[in-house]
Amino acid sequence: MNSMRQSTLETLGLGTVLEIFQNGKLPVNTSELVDKVFGKPNNRGAIVISGANGIVGAGKVMQFASRLLPYNIPIIALDLPGAPDGIGKQYSGLQKAFGKEDADNIMKNIIRLTYDGKTLPDSLAAYKPKFLLEAIPEILELKKGHYELFRKKFPGITIYSVTSGFPSSQLGVNIAHPAFPHEINKIFEIVEDKPSAATQLLWSLGLIPVEVSDDWSFVLDVFFCGLMLAGLRYHEQTNTPFWKADKYIRQLVGPNPFRAHDAIGAKGANFLTWSCLYHLSKNYGALFTPTKDLDEHKDSGQNWYPLDHFRPMVNWSKDKDDDEILRTMILGPLFQMTSIMLKEKRSNLSSMNAIAELCAQFTKGLLAMARNLGTDEVINTVKKYHKLHPESAKTKWYPEEFKKINSPEWQQLYVNAEHDGKAGVITISRESYNSDVNDEINRAIDWLKKNKIRRVIVTSDFHLSTQMVGADTNEFFPAITEVKEGERIASTWSATARRLYNEFEISIGFVNGKRCMGGMLELMMHCHYLIADENTVFSMPEVTLPVVPGMEGCHWAIRKAKKEDRKYLLNMLLQGKQIKAKETVGWLADYSDSLENCLKKAWQIIQKGTSVLPLRKVDEKPLGKLPFDEKLLANANGMREAMKAITDCVEAACNTTLDKAVSIQAKHSADFMVTKLCRKGRVGSEYDKVMSN
Amino acid sequence: MKNKIQKMFPNAYIPYGTWGCSYFPAWQTSPLAEVNIGQFAGEAMARIMNKRKVPVSNLDYLIIGSTVPWHFKFWNATVVANCMGKRLPGFQMEQACATGLQAVILAGAQVQSGASEAVGVLTFDRTSDSPVGVFPERRSYKRTEVLADVWDNFGFDPSTGKAMLNAAGFAARKYKIAKKEVDELTCYRYEQYFNAKESGFLNRVAFPFEILNVQGKSAGWVTEDAGVKKISIDALRAMRELDSCVTGGTQTHAADGMATLLVTTKEKAKQLSKKPEIEISFIAKTEVRTNPSLMPEAPALAVQKLLKQTGLTMKEIKVVKDHNPFAVNDAIFAKVMNYDWHKMNNTGSPLVFGHPQGPTLTRILMEALEEAVDLGGGYVLVFGCAAGDVGIASIFHVS
Repeated sequence: MNSMRQSTLETLGLGTVLEIFQNGKLPVNTSELVDKVFGKPNNRGAIVISGANGIVGAGKVMQFASRLLPYNIPIIALDLPGAPDGIGKQYSGLQKAFGKEDADNIMKNIIRLTYDGKTLPDSLAAYKPKFLLEAIPEILELKKGHYELFRKKFPGITIYSVTSGFPSSQLGVNIAHPAFPHEINKIFEIVEDKPSAATQLLWSLGLIPVEVSDDWSFVLDVFFCGLMLAGLRYHEQTNTPFWKADKYIRQLVGPNPFRAHDAIGAKGANFLTWSCLYHLSKNYGALFTPTKDLDEHKDSGQNWYPLDHFRPMVNWSKDKDDDEILRTMILGPLFQMTSIMLKEKRSNLSSMNAIAELCAQFTKGLLAMARNLGTDEVINTVKKYHKLHPESAKTKWYPEEFKKINSPEWQQLYVNAEHDGKAGVITISRESYNSDVNDEINRAIDWLKKNKIRRVIVTSDFHLSTQMVGADTNEFFPAITEVKEGERIASTWSATARRLYNEFEISIGFVNGKRCMGGMLELMMHCHYLIADENTVFSMPEVTLPVVPGMEGCHWAIRKAKKEDRKYLLNMLLQGKQIKAKETVGWLADYSDSLENCLKKAWQIIQKGTSVLPLRKVDEKPLGKLPFDEKLLANANGMREAMKAITDCVEAACNTTLDKAVSIQAKHSADFMVTKLCRKGRVGSEYDKVMSN
Repeated sequence: MKNKIQKMFPNAYIPYGTWGCSYFPAWQTSPLAEVNIGQFAGEAMARIMNKRKVPVSNLDYLIIGSTVPWHFKFWNATVVANCMGKRLPGFQMEQACATGLQAVILAGAQVQSGASEAVGVLTFDRTSDSPVGVFPERRSYKRTEVLADVWDNFGFDPSTGKAMLNAAGFAARKYKIAKKEVDELTCYRYEQYFNAKESGFLNRVAFPFEILNVQGKSAGWVTEDAGVKKISIDALRAMRELDSCVTGGTQTHAADGMATLLVTTKEKAKQLSKKPEIEISFIAKTEVRTNPSLMPEAPALAVQKLLKQTGLTMKEIKVVKDHNPFAVNDAIFAKVMNYDWHKMNNTGSPLVFGHPQGPTLTRILMEALEEAVDLGGGYVLVFGCAAGDVGIASIFHVS
């Protein structure tokens, strides 16, 4: 087996993605793992979540209760008697996600117990606790005493802490540090000696465990707390109010750290951030020292944003010099912190990058940002930062880590490729498509071709990406004001997609997540075959945003569909609705069934060729009249103009030859991007919200 | 500096170039008419200090000066400091139109006492839409009086029963000031202001601000002393006299705005100033209260007293600048001090740029200090009148 870099799946002890196809099944079975962690059905134990009414505890109670329901695992929600109810208020969210009946069943399986912090309730033993997820306050001695309490009463119990900062070596238990928002974020940073059955169970339940090393604050909270600290130091240096610092930081890197603390709950979040930074500063130095403002907010629990009666009044703007200070004060410390994590090998690079995006809300992961800036720029930024904050220069800083940017680990943060000498897979670990993914797919194609691989499966990484949501709309911001930018993006990305069709003997777009939409669906439909798990839904939601699809979504699939089936694709484009993959077989998908059958079918095609499943060819000639649903257009109401723009694009792109269609589609897409209608829509509004000063 | 001159606060300094103010738009002409001016001042001070490259974390105390009640004034300097982004201790002071200078003096005393290393002085007022309220008043047959803070006080000195405007006329008559001279003086003051503006001098002290409404959208910019227009001598002469020598043109107008500067120890001043070689120190300060309704003579009397106190003469003063709500003030000053009014207020004065009360003398002081720096240093005399027939005067030294 060859791969461009290590697959993140391998870090969980789950093998490679190619092996999943070769074996025709997933590497582990949920029931077997449940048996391993909680015992066989006749001796099944419970999971205890302590601190269950807190923000973290309540979120995890919901996640585990909903996922473990089919396996009859009691969920024990343990907390102090006076703890305000954090579980009851989750019920409305559960109802929304699962419907009333399922929500009731999930809640039924949650057993709430209280204890005084010193002794465990006698009734707990009846549930045979096998697994403790500890989510009590971030006080080392308190946590240690808590574990002792459980170990005495339930020897052999498996304990994981949700701590955001203390290493396993301090706590004496494994770590499963989850990311906010705790009800829905699937990521857990895991610290353990080797991938355990519990961790593999998390994966099997659809969660995203990420193995990290046993270092203070792991990865996520170095980014999250580090960015907050960078924001605070920027504020301190320039007096920029927190709300405006947030705005600038959001433009620069994605998150708004001060708002995030208020949203999470300033009292708890301020303390956790302070605690992480305090311990990091004790272990690493002044780079991490909390500022006076953070000390003060930690003690007071006060919000960072002004109260309503003091909504910001004086606007701030920045000139070139101000911008330079901002970039230096924000990126400088983050790069220095990242260098420490890289040096300590805190995680696989792809995982580290993904944690920044999926948990700390960075638009692009720190590693992707550093890679795009280049080694010299990164090192210079940190040097400039040290001039503005000389204390940080005394903390560890490993510039040499950024000299490895050309290695495959750095170059393939989002896309990996594996092959066995005959067949290959290209795996995408980012849920939305952007220019980095585009570049990395091209490098993966080049690598496979260099290795003479003619048959390829394009799919998710079966780990960090659980769905394919389309294009990253942040990428369109330059196109909102520049037609040329829109054309460049559309034509560049389309060219990549076409490579999947033109440069392989067989390519299969394999969709195994919950959904595949927009730009990602356009990419996948370029493959010779499109195969999808029966639970997957497809959609082209562009009309609702509105934008005009730019990656050949307005003609490619139509050229492959039978004349009588084209209407389905046209309706899909004009309605933007979700359609189950199974319902699209024959005109969009080529095959849809259970995941295992899909895996097997894909591998059969790779092994045996087009005899396994008829290949639908792309009609390269103009298609002539298209069966638009006139009623749909007549009753378009609010979407009329957007539908018209897409209809025009479809007409133009379908009624030309395949080679000319790409530029026509790109032009329509780019022209629409600068219209008032687009500006008023989701992408335009987001652009105005984020980029306006 | 003359050897005999003792500094009033030998340990207190004003770091050069760490000051700034908003423009003073005439009342009701800008978005400032509708803001909580305390909040605006706090946020504007942070912005000015940003432009001056001074992190407000250097400050350890805040003295605010304001004369018109503003919402949450009870919380005085603490809430304004929060709007600036720092939780500083401090207090609010007020002394009518002397506020802007008195606040600086108090900051000097705070540093001199050793209680603080770096004090922010922040003065502000919004005369537009000043609070209107009701007040229990037993002596009134209605038992309750309606209060309009700004206009009640402009129109009525409770100690004398007279309006400020009448005080100007009364003083003009006492000193036999002719309207012709006052009109010429006013015209000259306008020329001085517009010359300074056109030379770019104002940009050294005043900063533009964009004001946001509650939705976070722009409510407009404050980019100039709105409402100030060039005026001709003929237009001034044609104006109706409201009292002796007082016309619409020869008196100031109500305005809104803020001004800020820092007072620090010597070391801190060197650390914060972009030109640490410039040293600005406090020399002396005095006040007088003259006879009822003679407020316009009070500044001249204060300066007389101050010169006597210090031993300095007007010849030794490099920059002379005053708060002149009435042009009569300057004419009387010239007469009392035997001083040519053409030589003072070279970069403008409140008679022209407006009078938001609290910050007026702070802006005058920073303009005077800038002018002194241009002239290579020397003594700076800043003075003005205040409600209650008070005159305040102070001397600083720029080296």
